[in-house]
Amino acid sequence: MILTGVLLAVFGLGLVGWFAARGRARLLYTGRGSMHSMPAYHGWHMALWILVPALLAWGVWSAIMPGLVEGAVFADPAAASLPTDPMTLGAIVSEAHNLASDPSATAFNPEARVLVEPIRAAQGRFGLIGALLVMVVAIAGGGYGFTRIRADFRARTQVERAVMALLLAASLMAVLTTFGIVGSLVFEAGLFFKDVSPIAFLTGTHWSPASTMGANINDNFGAVPLFWGTIYIGAIIAMIVAIPLGLMSAVYLTQYASGTMRKWLKPMLEILAGIPTVVYGYFAALTVAPMIRDFAASMGMQNPSTESALAAGLVMGVMIIPFVSSMADDALAAVPRAMSDGSLALGSTKSETIKKVLLPAALPGIVAGVMLAISRAIGETMIVVMAAGAAANLSANPFASMTTVTYQIVQMLTGDQEFNSPKTLSAFALGLVLFVVTLILNIVALRVVKRFREAYE
Amino acid sequence: MSKSDWNSPEAAKRIARRNASERRFKMIGLGAIVLSLSFLALLLVIMLKNGVTGLDWSFLSGSDSTNASVAGVWGATKGSLLTMGVTLLLSFPMGVLAAIYLEEFAPRKRWIEWIEVSINNLAAVPSIIFGLLGLAVFINTLGMPRSSPLVGGLTLALMTMPVIVISGRNAIKAVPPSIREAAYGIGASKVQTTFHHVLPLALPGILTGTIIGMARALGETAPLLMIGMRAFVATPPDSLNSPSSVLPMQIFLWSDEIDKGFVQNTSAAIIVLLVFLLAMNGIAIYLRNKFEVRW
Repeated sequence: MILTGVLLAVFGLGLVGWFAARGRARLLYTGRGSMHSMPAYHGWHMALWILVPALLAWGVWSAIMPGLVEGAVFADPAAASLPTDPMTLGAIVSEAHNLASDPSATAFNPEARVLVEPIRAAQGRFGLIGALLVMVVAIAGGGYGFTRIRADFRARTQVERAVMALLLAASLMAVLTTFGIVGSLVFEAGLFFKDVSPIAFLTGTHWSPASTMGANINDNFGAVPLFWGTIYIGAIIAMIVAIPLGLMSAVYLTQYASGTMRKWLKPMLEILAGIPTVVYGYFAALTVAPMIRDFAASMGMQNPSTESALAAGLVMGVMIIPFVSSMADDALAAVPRAMSDGSLALGSTKSETIKKVLLPAALPGIVAGVMLAISRAIGETMIVVMAAGAAANLSANPFASMTTVTYQIVQMLTGDQEFNSPKTLSAFALGLVLFVVTLILNIVALRVVKRFREAYE
Repeated sequence: MSKSDWNSPEAAKRIARRNASERRFKMIGLGAIVLSLSFLALLLVIMLKNGVTGLDWSFLSGSDSTNASVAGVWGATKGSLLTMGVTLLLSFPMGVLAAIYLEEFAPRKRWIEWIEVSINNLAAVPSIIFGLLGLAVFINTLGMPRSSPLVGGLTLALMTMPVIVISGRNAIKAVPPSIREAAYGIGASKVQTTFHHVLPLALPGILTGTIIGMARALGETAPLLMIGMRAFVATPPDSLNSPSSVLPMQIFLWSDEIDKGFVQNTSAAIIVLLVFLLAMNGIAIYLRNKFEVRW
């Protein structure tokens, strides 16, 4: 495409402009203090004047060119014989576009062949116009930039202003992402709630989105079993594993371990956090789940399922241990030394000091850490996808198969469905719930941590 | 004899009891660490035992196949490399520039706080939500090709950027003010000070954070599942737009196969992925130890 080529030409021109302007500025140098800016800044100033307007022109032209091509093609006599039905017309035009860019492509509509030549001609014509336009803008910008090179011109100030704009734009990317997440979730979930009432969704206890035959669609989208499964696996079973192990690890590492021991054990513990969740999921499905099934069978359960809430929750808990441990580590470190020293001076042993003084004093920080850990566990996907199962059960039996919000999001969006059915859209509604819950957990936890730190400062 | 007498048998018993409870508590702490680490050891041993025999040249150079004995991991590795390339190219400059702005230039205003809050929250948003964003924006709205390294890289870049911003800000914060003051003192502008003096000194820290963020992105599966990167791809991708798989996705797909041969393949692919991650983390630790300056 000529437009891609012209992009390279513009960058080449920018490079040439940089050297030209720097060379010109060097000639102006007559001695200390004779110039405001260093020659390289004149180079950057010139390069910016070439690149920025030309890239803007390129962007605008790339956006409007398809419309212009379309218009020219329909004005062509070859297009007069085409069917007027918009569906077939759209198919023919898109096939013709494929043929124009790749002659070996297959076309099902013979009419598409007729359009290839007009499309090629129009693309060539408008591409050339666009390329010329972009080059003219680049040269004009460069010419203007070149005329401004003078000894007293404040090139550095100008360039630094551009740098500031770039920095600000990069920071705004984060806000844009947040808006993108909220916007897309709210929009798609809104489409879902047009079909299904939000109250039925949040309070219903029957989840079977696949059965579209039901009398009332509201009856099939009750998400309570999903919420229960998520809480049971992520906030109960996983935390029963992660809180004692993580907390005791942190206590041992900060209070008892020697310097070298700490130096070795802490990174090893952190490897647990670095293992990809898909590996944990496979481990849960391959090793832990069969072990738990056999255990359940030996306990006298009838037909225990391979997929169990316990398997997913256990493995998830292990994954979270380093996270809880490092949060507890921070919380313990924030307690002033004087408090434990006071307790030790009164004659209590180290373990008594930890149990009666340190842990109570660090409790707000630890609770906040646990909240962050829960928010991480309920958003975890791969372990539950591989080990927890698809059945929406409202049960407290840890050996039962149970499903979670994240599992259902994956389930709804993989495979071939039409995009706008309530079934696929329900994934976005579930995503919205997940996003809001994790957001609240995070905000509350961060606030608790902040207040806790301030209390001891 | 009073109870408080230190030499009484009661006191000796009490002290012995307290010492025993002290030892018990310490043992529980050590036990917690040992238990956690033994889980890690068990996981690694099982993967090695199942997978190490499958690691040969044809496995490392082949692509996915329905036949377990000829299936290989190169196609997925190449997809991972392309995806990570896109992610790094986008998230690193963006993250560093945003960190510089927030740490060095941002005025103390209300809307700057919004940027900070949204970055901190994005770092804690579940990864699957980024997948939903990628699906809704890149694929459904902008019409980019499904299951391509381009969309995967874009999605993971949005996820990785907050991590880089946060570690970048910490690294920049750690550069002492005296460096800046010295630069101002010889007439450097604020931008010159930042880019010529502060940034080079903060770079090792920023790179460490970037590598850790990239390692996380490399092991990520859930967001890529959302944008359709679970197709069966029998040839390595040859461009950013062609359908492709990535290593963690290959592991997930193989783990679902019924054929026994795929157990070995899955474990072998896990070993390959873990070796990559270990190497990346090793580089990060090396960088930190080698270049980190304690001011």
